Amino acid sequence: MTTTTHCPYCSLQCGMKLSGTRKLEVSEWAEFPVNKGAMCRKGWTSAELLHHRERLTTPLIKEPTGEFRPASWEEALDYVGERLNGLRAQHGPDSIGIFGGGGLTNEKAYQLGKFARVAVGTSQIDYNGRWCMSSAANAGSRAFGVDRGLPFPLADIAEADVLILVGSNLAETMPPAARHLVESREKGHHVVVIDPRRTATADKADTFLQPVPGTDLALAQSLLHLIVANGHVDEEYVASRTTGWEAVKNSVMSWWPERGERVTGIPASELKELADLVGTAEKVMILTARGPEQQAQGSDTVLAWINIALALGMQGKEHSGYGCLTGQGNGQGGREHGQKSDQLPGYRMIDDPAAREHVAGVWGIPAESIPGKGRSAYELLDALGQDNGPKALLVFGSNIIVSAPNANHVGERLDALELLVVADMVMSETAARADVILPITQWAEETGTMTNLEGRVILRQRAITPPAGVRSDLEIIEGLAERLKSPIAFSVEPEEIFAELGRASAGGKADYSGITYDLIREQKGVFWPAPAGVIGTDGHVGTERMFTESFATPSGRANFIAVEHRGAAEQPDAEYPVHLTTGRVLAQYQSGAQTRRIRDLTDDGAFVEMHPMLATRLGTADGELVRVETRRGEMVAPVRVVRTIRPDTVFVPFHWVGANKLTNDALDPASRMPEFKVCAARVSEAAKVNGQVVVA
Amino acid sequence: MKREKLVIVGNGMATTRLVEELVARRYEGDITILGDEDHPAYNRILLSAVLEGTHPIDALTLRQPDWYAAQGIDLRLGSRVLEIERELRDVMLVDGQKIVFDKLVLATGAIPTLPPIRGLIQLDGSLHPKVHAFRSLADTQRLLDAMEELSVESRPVRAVVVGGGLLGLQVARALSVRGVETEVVEGTEHLLSQQVDRKGGTVLKRHLKKLGTEVYTGARAIRLTDEGLKLDTGYTLDADLIVLTAGGRPSTALARGAGLTVRRGLVVGEHLQSVDDDNIFAIGDCAEFEGRVTGFVPPAWEQATLLAAHLSGEDVKYEGSRSVARLRATGLDVAVLGDPEHTEGDIVEVTNPIIGTHRKLVVDGNVIVAGTLIGDLSRIGLITQLFDRRTILSDTEPGELLMAERPDGDSSTLLPDEAEVCACAGVNAGRIRSCRTFEEAKEKTRATTGCGGCASVVRELIEAAHVPV
Repeated sequence: MTTTTHCPYCSLQCGMKLSGTRKLEVSEWAEFPVNKGAMCRKGWTSAELLHHRERLTTPLIKEPTGEFRPASWEEALDYVGERLNGLRAQHGPDSIGIFGGGGLTNEKAYQLGKFARVAVGTSQIDYNGRWCMSSAANAGSRAFGVDRGLPFPLADIAEADVLILVGSNLAETMPPAARHLVESREKGHHVVVIDPRRTATADKADTFLQPVPGTDLALAQSLLHLIVANGHVDEEYVASRTTGWEAVKNSVMSWWPERGERVTGIPASELKELADLVGTAEKVMILTARGPEQQAQGSDTVLAWINIALALGMQGKEHSGYGCLTGQGNGQGGREHGQKSDQLPGYRMIDDPAAREHVAGVWGIPAESIPGKGRSAYELLDALGQDNGPKALLVFGSNIIVSAPNANHVGERLDALELLVVADMVMSETAARADVILPITQWAEETGTMTNLEGRVILRQRAITPPAGVRSDLEIIEGLAERLKSPIAFSVEPEEIFAELGRASAGGKADYSGITYDLIREQKGVFWPAPAGVIGTDGHVGTERMFTESFATPSGRANFIAVEHRGAAEQPDAEYPVHLTTGRVLAQYQSGAQTRRIRDLTDDGAFVEMHPMLATRLGTADGELVRVETRRGEMVAPVRVVRTIRPDTVFVPFHWVGANKLTNDALDPASRMPEFKVCAARVSEAAKVNGQVVVA
Repeated sequence: MKREKLVIVGNGMATTRLVEELVARRYEGDITILGDEDHPAYNRILLSAVLEGTHPIDALTLRQPDWYAAQGIDLRLGSRVLEIERELRDVMLVDGQKIVFDKLVLATGAIPTLPPIRGLIQLDGSLHPKVHAFRSLADTQRLLDAMEELSVESRPVRAVVVGGGLLGLQVARALSVRGVETEVVEGTEHLLSQQVDRKGGTVLKRHLKKLGTEVYTGARAIRLTDEGLKLDTGYTLDADLIVLTAGGRPSTALARGAGLTVRRGLVVGEHLQSVDDDNIFAIGDCAEFEGRVTGFVPPAWEQATLLAAHLSGEDVKYEGSRSVARLRATGLDVAVLGDPEHTEGDIVEVTNPIIGTHRKLVVDGNVIVAGTLIGDLSRIGLITQLFDRRTILSDTEPGELLMAERPDGDSSTLLPDEAEVCACAGVNAGRIRSCRTFEEAKEKTRATTGCGGCASVVRELIEAAHVPV
């Protein structure tokens, strides 16, 4: 039997076929439009984890000795329920925190948000998507009135005359997407990549700019300055479709190219060439990814690039405009249905009385019983075990200890909890610290929807029976809700939950009410917004391209928002003289809990990438161990000497414990995104004692 | 509590930054700005770009008047201050109006100096109609109007730029780009003599000559007559326009009149306060700190930011600025870091007059303390970063920074077997070579099935591996 489903990893959600009964074979699903059968090695090898020897198949409870002992599901859930009830009775519902993930299906994200607000009654829920594309989400909402990562299908990127990728290494992070770059160049279009590292993606570009980490905002300001100077602003579009241009125009006046050069490290001549290129092109597309977004000025940085798209009259025009390349598998859907501390399903805001009424009606509870806004992801972790903070944390779909910034501190906070419960399929670094581990099903063993980076809702279908002893997140939520004496029952049937999600989202920004599983199968995905009963112009349900007529703001116009470059929160100084930036490598995904366990994915561990000039300065060489230190932590890893990185910057991939001990927890004031992408570091030869490298 | 009255004299770029920073810090006080120009604050740096035609004149405004109103700032344009009365804590305008202050900021900038050329000033005291200064928006407009008028004549317009400094070269290039036949007169022995050495000046002169601009160095203009501009070398240059760019001096008349210590500029301490009066400050071109006046925007902005912090009660001290001067002129690539001709240190330099490059770094304690880059700015983004951040370099780095980057091209058919060809599927060249056809490679190794970027390399490898010998 063959089942069509989707790869368990990134936001591309490549379509794939799974066949076989005992051991699944992955094969191409050529008809699925996003990847047309193409996959990277992560996708091809994804089935291996299903039968992995490290797979957890029984709940585990930690003994006082620190050892785990197997427990029955009844025992484990009873234990967790009892502890949660006790804490709630003693300290109130906000003493229980919930941490979700951008890899959870829409149904799980929805149920988790509902579970928090109704079964537990806590406001303390957020998720790791906060560390993914929250800056772009915030900026998109402010500028366009709605946040859908790509407001157009991915394939459109090959049609733009000029495509600018700001801080995206899609050739490694989502390789099948890079087909569109190849196609774009074959068509004679121009691809621009902006990144402190000349990545595999940059190698596919016609123009490559290599800015100082943390200066993408200044770069955008200088670019817009030149666009204004060259007279390339689309005045008619600006007048008819936007508001706020004058303030933005004034704000870029002080970003003449030589000033931009000094801040960004990009020669003024290159800025001028780029400005000429985008100013004279018919269709310009600008895509941001984690590079510019994971900064303490990430949302303003995205706004600065959006301002360019608006000034050129590109947003809403065919094959043009701004978009965000979401990272996690369900990064998009995960932020729409209520696992974010400030949101309810359908991308409704939790402090909007009308939104509360609507959702409470669907849930069958009084609106006033829905708690208010909680803490954002990092702030939630920072508060764990503190006086006003949660005393228990339930973790679904996240490996916090690897993926959170300032990981030493986060580890201390986790240790300060009275109860840590982790639902995971393997013994992740975070699970290892838990009091209770609940083993869960994997992607091929369950059904549910995901929303990919284009806002296309797709269906993950069960292809194989899960091993005995594991349960789905939905079953865990149901079991705990019952033990917490939830006033309402929780379904475990994905399709039933999806229908409810549709009703809850109806009338919201991300309206799923017209979508059904059958429709997804039929249309090979449905783009939201898809209000019930509305058929799009092409005869399909859903909205493939947004903003063609108007924006989702009250006025129907896009908002120009003036921003100023503040710079990274931590600048290099005499003590910590180089920039540190972090990112991903092709063979691994996120915290690596899945991919590091797959034999065919190379796992050489972390490394420290640096330019030969810096290596010479430090007296080190390729392959030698170095210690990287920041004000927050340190790690030891071998050097990789490459000419492709800025000589004032080192790069460390974050899939292993280490990189995030170094990263800065400075938060973006609007999106609450931590500054993963830039901080100040010191690199030195790793000291050895008796021939052994000493690691703190 | 009584709100503090802050009066700022001058409405240039330093003032704009100061009030922006004060607003950002929610400064609690009443701000009054007295600007003598009628135009709202504009970006002076771009005046030469306006002259060149690469920037529209109507897009120079930094902040519209309604912005000031929205912030509750009293902006008074066309208000010239006559004197400061320190005892009375007020300033008097030329119309006799008095404005009291608790704190006073002087951001009066600089005024162009007139070189000692006879005939510049006519008998009635006005400037000779052919003569133009180049400092303000009004100067620029007047020069543009003059060019417009002259352009109706059938012969090309001719201009002489007096002064071969940064501004002079910018103006010369701008005029030249506009089709004006331009010549430059510089009194010292080489161009940019304040900033660069003789070698650099010579390279620049050759550049300008190639671009069609004649340069007379070691030549002083002494007299303007009907025949033209006479030089002390005996030449007479016929010209329709004479543009004076021969420097400026800090505008300090008000400070001097108020009895404050003035050397070249108003002498200020670590809070940018006058050494005589803690409630009077100076920023920008009119201020002198540790014996230096700056004359550039970035240091003026650093001073403005620091002063805003100080006025908002933050504990900050000014320690001087690192300046990078960039020539904004088409076809002339020049950057000057710090003060390379007057800074102690080891000099690392590469000069190639054949291609017109001269680059030098002044290095002290393995830190770049000054530098000159002429004709090749390919590494400027990195060099200025290292300079600004005072990065301690290795012994060889300054030299490497001045070398061309090594190209790293390769040919796929020469790839060793272990070299990775398809990153998406993790396939090396050897495995590709073991396949007979492209289809087989795709099927067996899954190469090309991800991003597809390696398809051409895979084809080349297979073809090369199966060429009949």
